[in-house]
Amino acid sequence: MAGRLNRLIDFAPVLIALLLALVVSSVLLIALNANPFEAFDFMLKGAVGSENATAETLVKATPILFVGIGITIAFRGGMINIGGEGQMIAGALAGVTVALVLGEARVPAEMAKTPGAFDLIIVTCSLLGGFLMGALYGGLAGFLKAYFDVNEILSTIMLNQIAVQMMNFLLNGILLDPAEAGFNNIPKTARLVTAAQLPRLSLPIGDPWLFARTRLHWGLIIAMALAVIIYIFLWRTSWGYRIRAVGENQRASSYAGINVKRQMMFSMFLAGGFSGLAGVVQVLGLQYRLQTDGSPAGFTGAAGFNGIVAALFGGLNPIGAIPAAAFFGGLLVGAQKMQRELGVPASLITAVNGLIVVFVVSSEIFILQRSKRRVSVAEQTDESDDGEEDG
Amino acid sequence: MRNILLTILLAVFAVTGAATIGQDDVFRIAALMPSATNDLAFSQSMYDALVAIQEELGEEAFEFTVQDSTYIVDDAAVALRDWAASGEFQLVIAHGSQYGPIVEELAAEFPDVSFAWGTRQDTFGMDNVYSYAAASDEGGYFNGVLAAHLTETGVVGLVGPIEVGDGKLYADGFANGVASVDEEIDVNIVFIGSFSDVPLATEAAETHIANGADVLTGTAQMVVGPIAVAVANDVLWFGSDASQDELSEDIGVAFQIYKWDVLLLDMIANIKDGVLGGEYYKLTLENNGLVMEFDKDFEVSDELMTAAQETLTGIILGDIIPIPEMMEEEMADEEMEDDGED
Repeated sequence: MAGRLNRLIDFAPVLIALLLALVVSSVLLIALNANPFEAFDFMLKGAVGSENATAETLVKATPILFVGIGITIAFRGGMINIGGEGQMIAGALAGVTVALVLGEARVPAEMAKTPGAFDLIIVTCSLLGGFLMGALYGGLAGFLKAYFDVNEILSTIMLNQIAVQMMNFLLNGILLDPAEAGFNNIPKTARLVTAAQLPRLSLPIGDPWLFARTRLHWGLIIAMALAVIIYIFLWRTSWGYRIRAVGENQRASSYAGINVKRQMMFSMFLAGGFSGLAGVVQVLGLQYRLQTDGSPAGFTGAAGFNGIVAALFGGLNPIGAIPAAAFFGGLLVGAQKMQRELGVPASLITAVNGLIVVFVVSSEIFILQRSKRRVSVAEQTDESDDGEEDG
Repeated sequence: MRNILLTILLAVFAVTGAATIGQDDVFRIAALMPSATNDLAFSQSMYDALVAIQEELGEEAFEFTVQDSTYIVDDAAVALRDWAASGEFQLVIAHGSQYGPIVEELAAEFPDVSFAWGTRQDTFGMDNVYSYAAASDEGGYFNGVLAAHLTETGVVGLVGPIEVGDGKLYADGFANGVASVDEEIDVNIVFIGSFSDVPLATEAAETHIANGADVLTGTAQMVVGPIAVAVANDVLWFGSDASQDELSEDIGVAFQIYKWDVLLLDMIANIKDGVLGGEYYKLTLENNGLVMEFDKDFEVSDELMTAAQETLTGIILGDIIPIPEMMEEEMADEEMEDDGED
């Protein structure tokens, strides 16, 4: 009963924070002559108001979930990974290269646009290529931290910049769509053959099937499955235990015989890999080509950063990251609808989103602190009980 | 009871039906833009055009909605799909060449909706897609000629975004315009690799000035940074896309202004006639889609005015070709097409 009450009390700050965020956002909306009730109604409709809106929310949530899983591993290993953006780009570059090369080798030109074609080998290799490149890119920051004590926050931020310049360079060079060479257009790769694309996802409900006419793709299922696998990995295997032990206390882990440096690198390797997957899934499932407007967010949609918030909001638990990613996906998609319908400036939408994130994440930190206090009190009680028994 | 219900239903239908029919006369456009509608550049030029059309046709005949600052391509897909699926808009504009692949996909899915996208000469061979571009090399050349007349150090600087599209055309035209007056003048061009990175554009402008430039120019939404640098260093500024008169204080000289309303009005007429797309439009000085405007605070000398008028007339009459290489390529392409047809 006490446990249930505690969980209820734990959840209350989130609701209060959400309410406060909505109140402050309402003040901003009123200042711009927008009706807050109407605005939040549009936001809700934009997020889950129709089949397509719900699908777009899930589409938006997919890369956030991939990154969120990776961030969870890194943070659990005591590493602060701010390099999701760069790792997404690195993964996308590798994945799209594999898809283009294998697509050309395995699919005859006349079959390139055949609807419904799917080649498991191309897709699997592309996903693996994206994972590996992201992992190496993230692992590099882990290596620098483990062996040269380079602050991983700084190195990952710097690596983000290097990745975007690398993307701009490659998309203007060897990865440029041959059909675009000599033209004066936005740099982009060739479009992937149909067989290299992740299939669209629909559920056998109704006629036509649910989500059949939307952009929802199998990347979501892959991400959710991996969230479950990583939960098992972190909490049910000795490898996961070592990562968490190092994250909790490096010195104690070292005394226990755990190779701390290796675990630091490994957690960043995995974190980078998941961000890399986010990047390649965006290409294979959604855009079918990689193009750049010169900014990282133009491709990533800032999922590399939003994934951090989703991971924190999910309580640094891969399973918790699933609803957290869906929440932020809905927030981002719904906010766009609000802007379209009300004609309010985009900067206001960014502010409203930011307010909700700040309030909600702050409440999460409050809950974590409360939880730690509870554990500490329980330990003290146990110790005093032991003392009394000893006495 | 049943009759009463039927009567009520019919009455409701009649009222809503009448309202719907009443709305049919209104032409509605939805436009997606990569930056803010007040960016003093690419997006503002389209927003200003939509406002101008509304003023011309009246609010009862023309309505528009925009989603700005949509630099994330996936977000663009959400908005464009939402508008296309709503059936409320006669024309959906994707104002940015990065949106091309999305337009191509959606246009096939929604054949009854008319799409326009730019800046690019490609309708994907679809009957419901208009494409558009701006001959920004013309305004670039014009600005280049004036810059060459005004520089005292013999060094001018240009800050560009990515080396593509109308930004590249403007840069090439500007360099050729300067060279047409004096080939000895150094034209330092920096493409920063981003449309929106204001700090980087600011750095580039400061570097130009450190290298002796006393005239600056640039394109895309990040030029607010270079303009501030020009104001702080009392260096002359030439702009493109939209008027930057208000921001450039007393250092602004001339601006190339995109008048997208020229082509949009034509598209609207076409769509009303049932032609949903398949055409390519280009803004030029000749068709008044491009307009050159002097800064209100800039005193134009007689010599400069003469140079400006001669350049403008030369471009419009075809005596001046801002980028001869491009003209040669276009002619070669046309010849190839003719040969193919033969």
